[in-house]
Amino acid sequence: MSRATKLHKASWCALSQLQQYRTKSNFSTSIASRNELFAQEQRRQRDAVGRIDKIEVRYLGLPEDVTLVMNNHISTPFNCAQHLSEGHCRRTALALIDGSVPWDMHRPLQESCTLQLLNFNVSEPHVVNKAFWRTCSFMLGAALTRAFKTEANLQLHSFPGPNIKSGSFIHDIVLETQNWQPSKSEMRAISAEMIRLAAQDLRIERLDVQQEIAQEIFKDSKYKSEQLPSIAQQNNGRVSLYRLGDHIDISRGPMVASTHFLGKCTVSAAHKLAEEGSAGAFYRIQGVALPCGFKLSHVAYGLLEERSQKLNPARLPHEPFEEQQQLQLS
Amino acid sequence: MNQADVTKLISQLRIAVRPSQRNLKNSDGPEGRLLKLRKTVTALMKHERIELYYNRADEARGYAELVRIISNGYNISSLHSIPIPKQLISNAIRHGDRHKATMELADYWLLEKQLVHKLFKVLVPRYENYNVSYTRMYRAPRDYPGMYYRQSVLELRGNPYPSLVMDQSHNRNLLHNVLLDEARKEFRRKKLADLVN
Repeated sequence: MSRATKLHKASWCALSQLQQYRTKSNFSTSIASRNELFAQEQRRQRDAVGRIDKIEVRYLGLPEDVTLVMNNHISTPFNCAQHLSEGHCRRTALALIDGSVPWDMHRPLQESCTLQLLNFNVSEPHVVNKAFWRTCSFMLGAALTRAFKTEANLQLHSFPGPNIKSGSFIHDIVLETQNWQPSKSEMRAISAEMIRLAAQDLRIERLDVQQEIAQEIFKDSKYKSEQLPSIAQQNNGRVSLYRLGDHIDISRGPMVASTHFLGKCTVSAAHKLAEEGSAGAFYRIQGVALPCGFKLSHVAYGLLEERSQKLNPARLPHEPFEEQQQLQLS
Repeated sequence: MNQADVTKLISQLRIAVRPSQRNLKNSDGPEGRLLKLRKTVTALMKHERIELYYNRADEARGYAELVRIISNGYNISSLHSIPIPKQLISNAIRHGDRHKATMELADYWLLEKQLVHKLFKVLVPRYENYNVSYTRMYRAPRDYPGMYYRQSVLELRGNPYPSLVMDQSHNRNLLHNVLLDEARKEFRRKKLADLVN
């Protein structure tokens, strides 16, 4: 099959996925244009690879250590897992390159390296846990975008770096109201939206883009376009974007491979942080989650839920901007 | 009036059983079914962990459970008149090895007779104080390509083999343990602060 056909197939899949989302009432044109730009850039980067070089990937782990010959800038750790078994593909949340660099499962490899595949049960799961917590924040953004009607005028601000010990993952948003007191059923609706995302088993894609393209993508988001210059400055003019279904956000990553890793999840509290403009306000949405396959009794999980309702001490979004970005990039 | 409480005469199973039996397709009819089950129960007592098709495992499980209820000495005289329950282990625990009916039951279900000793001397002491089922069943992956039937693993609890399920409580770095540890620390800090004030 020629590359053109493959690409056509890929874009066709993306298109059909998009059409699915378009049926939703609150699917706005800005999201569509964002996705179009994202897909365009993805295609451009794939075409820019040109002549395909081979790299040797040394896989370390069960069932045995093997050397795989993969395509440079095209093959991902997920492709390596496909050579091993379906179980590896299904279970692996994050890859570890050269024994130290965490790498997204769906991010193309750049050079010959050793590869380890991590799941949530490895003996030293700090990296995976952190990636999971970050993914939860990212998914919370997607869930909020789906949950709110357009009249609410929701704007995602940012999510600070993951801190599991604080007991909650967070996402800071701006709403067009200054006295939103969410009821229990409203919070439950957002939690349900998270679970729905998990059930859809959406791939989480990463794309590194130049600052100009990122500006173009987030041109209608006031806060994101404010944040972009300083993020790009710290990262040689490049910005890493993540996409989940039709939701795109800025994050340093890494994130877990798919949304299906989210098991138990509760969005527990929304705290008003500060007023913004004449009619809006910053809110911090908090939640707690466990990876799928982790069993915890209701009592123990109840304790975690209770704790996650306390205001998370992470940096506040209305504080000076540069410091905030430092945190988001951590 | 003075009738015995029926629920106390027959050992209660600690697992869910299907209301109808499976026929376990074979050419010998019901007898063949029982022979199949006896073979399975014997193998389970002997090896303590076996891998087999799900249907047969699930069917044999109920019989194995009651085998064990048999062997604890318990009000023997009053039980002579009632029909023998089929389950092996629970009966073994309940009536002990001095009970004729129980012995007959063990003799019937265990095709290899040395296992009768194992039942009363090893398994009965092991399960005396259990308040959960004596067997455990897991779903197992099936071969691909291969027979379509669902596979399963049936084991006696407390067997000497390594566990089949992952131990998620001892590694303190797992996500839920990190969260729980932090919650505990915060609780202690709060208690301490309350004490000081």
